[in-house]
Amino acid sequence: MLASLGAELLKLRMRPSTWVLGLIWLAVIVLLNYTLAYTLVSSVPPPTVPEDTPKAQKEQLREQQEELQEQQLEFLYPENLVSNLTPGFPNLGAPIALILGALAVGSEYGWTTFKTVLTQRPGRYAVFFGKLLALGIVLALLVLLTFTAAAASSYVIAGLEDAPVGWPAAGELARALGAGGLILAIWAALGVLLATLLRSTALSIGIGLVYSLVFETIIFNLPIQNKAFRDAREFFPGQNSSFLADSFSEQSQGGFAPPQPPVDAPQAALVLLAYAATFILLAAFVFHRRDVT
Amino acid sequence: MTERGPRHPPLVETSGLGKRYGSITAVQDLNISVRRGEVYGFLGPNGAGKTTTLRMLLGLVKPSSGTAKVLGEEPGSPHGLQGVGALVESPAFYPYLSGRDNLRVMARYCGVPRQRVAEVLMQVELAGRANDKFRKYSLGMKQRLGVAAALLKDPELLILDEPTNGLDPKGMADMRALIRRVGHGERTVLLSSHLLGEVEQVCDRVGVIHKGELLTEGTVDELRGGGGILVKVEPVEEARRIAASLAGVRRAEIEDGMLVLDTDPNRAAEINARLVSERFRVSELRPAERSLEDAFLELTGGETV
Repeated sequence: MLASLGAELLKLRMRPSTWVLGLIWLAVIVLLNYTLAYTLVSSVPPPTVPEDTPKAQKEQLREQQEELQEQQLEFLYPENLVSNLTPGFPNLGAPIALILGALAVGSEYGWTTFKTVLTQRPGRYAVFFGKLLALGIVLALLVLLTFTAAAASSYVIAGLEDAPVGWPAAGELARALGAGGLILAIWAALGVLLATLLRSTALSIGIGLVYSLVFETIIFNLPIQNKAFRDAREFFPGQNSSFLADSFSEQSQGGFAPPQPPVDAPQAALVLLAYAATFILLAAFVFHRRDVT
Repeated sequence: MTERGPRHPPLVETSGLGKRYGSITAVQDLNISVRRGEVYGFLGPNGAGKTTTLRMLLGLVKPSSGTAKVLGEEPGSPHGLQGVGALVESPAFYPYLSGRDNLRVMARYCGVPRQRVAEVLMQVELAGRANDKFRKYSLGMKQRLGVAAALLKDPELLILDEPTNGLDPKGMADMRALIRRVGHGERTVLLSSHLLGEVEQVCDRVGVIHKGELLTEGTVDELRGGGGILVKVEPVEEARRIAASLAGVRRAEIEDGMLVLDTDPNRAAEINARLVSERFRVSELRPAERSLEDAFLELTGGETV
């Protein structure tokens, strides 16, 4: 399998789409989570109050705004790196990971390159798991780069505001890295499974994104109070991705405390691991059994 | 020294090999054997089942029935594939990589040293364009890259599926020369083609497949029928009666005013002497050579390739 891993890493490294997707993800994180957020928070105009408002009340309003602004700015500082960044993984990272997974397998069907690869030597399982391992390495690097880019952005913002620089505890950072990696892995595995089943890149990406958007995002966020419906959320990959990511958002975000996820982080992680294993084993089974035509 | 012939175990052997796709039978009860060192032509019209058979031999497609051994191993087993190089249908590579990088990827898969990439690029005369992206290659260059990938492992057995498909006449001639070159020596080549001329030029032995079934297997000469004598003789009808009664003549017919005898061509002098002694006027006598196309048409009941 090491031979396959080497070949797969070479392909992924030299493939433009790997770099384009990675850079888009990093740019989105830096732009949305830090650059835009900082621009918005720091450019809030002073409160407009009627002219006849007493001076003391005006002063109170101004202080309240400054306090709120300070809280929002603190959220962008390095000490809140984990709580600011991790919730972005299910929303922004998941589609990127799904596309990477679907491309890794679907393109081989599109270009009919599996027949060339499988007539070399390694055997089907070695090719398949070499591909997954290489994809896993790329995703791990992407998670590390994401945290590095976010850390750099937060450091710059703290410097601009002359704020003291503090970093999250190593344990929390490690847990966040693991959670981010797991969230990307489950969606990449879904992309791999869909591409294996459909033998197509475009269709698998389309179906994966529609599922993610319509089913996991729109339907499950409808204000339906039915208990069975709410309970069902605990068994779906997108919901558990959000639960796991939201478990890092315990702190107040600009004065607003986010709702607590209905399941705790270990349970969400276990559900995601079970999904990832199921997707991978199913895809491996189909890949091994099916004719390459 | 090259070891050829039936005394050695075949490199490829199938027994009752078959493949069905739903109600469609692509290949049925196929028995072929490819001997060490030969260039074996797998001849048949488009859709005859050639590619399906080769895919089964490479482990890409699982047979519905029968068995196959390639280099003594199950098709597709890593150990067997170590000695097999293949180009199946159109060459398939990564369009965003150069020819050289594509071969580097394949070299990693099959675990051969990187230097081998340069060697095979030289061998297929693609070194000068090795750094161009695969998507910019002409069809002929793509085919040559396919052969280069198949040669990476310096395989004992080379399986080439329609390697001249879609090429212009010069490209075809170049590819055939390349096949002859790489098939020289101890290497065995299994070449599928629907081009009779190609098979006639390149192959030692031929298996003819039609509608999924093997019709015949033998040398090109055997396939052409080899036996037979054409005689221009007067009067031809009386000569036919006499010739038909001769020992060793299986059939005597008149075609286009010539006497056609189905017999061993080595008996030409004896037959000539007999006809002359019977006072027939013999003005021409030569071996009857059937073209491979004639033989093929006869085998397939008139269906062309």
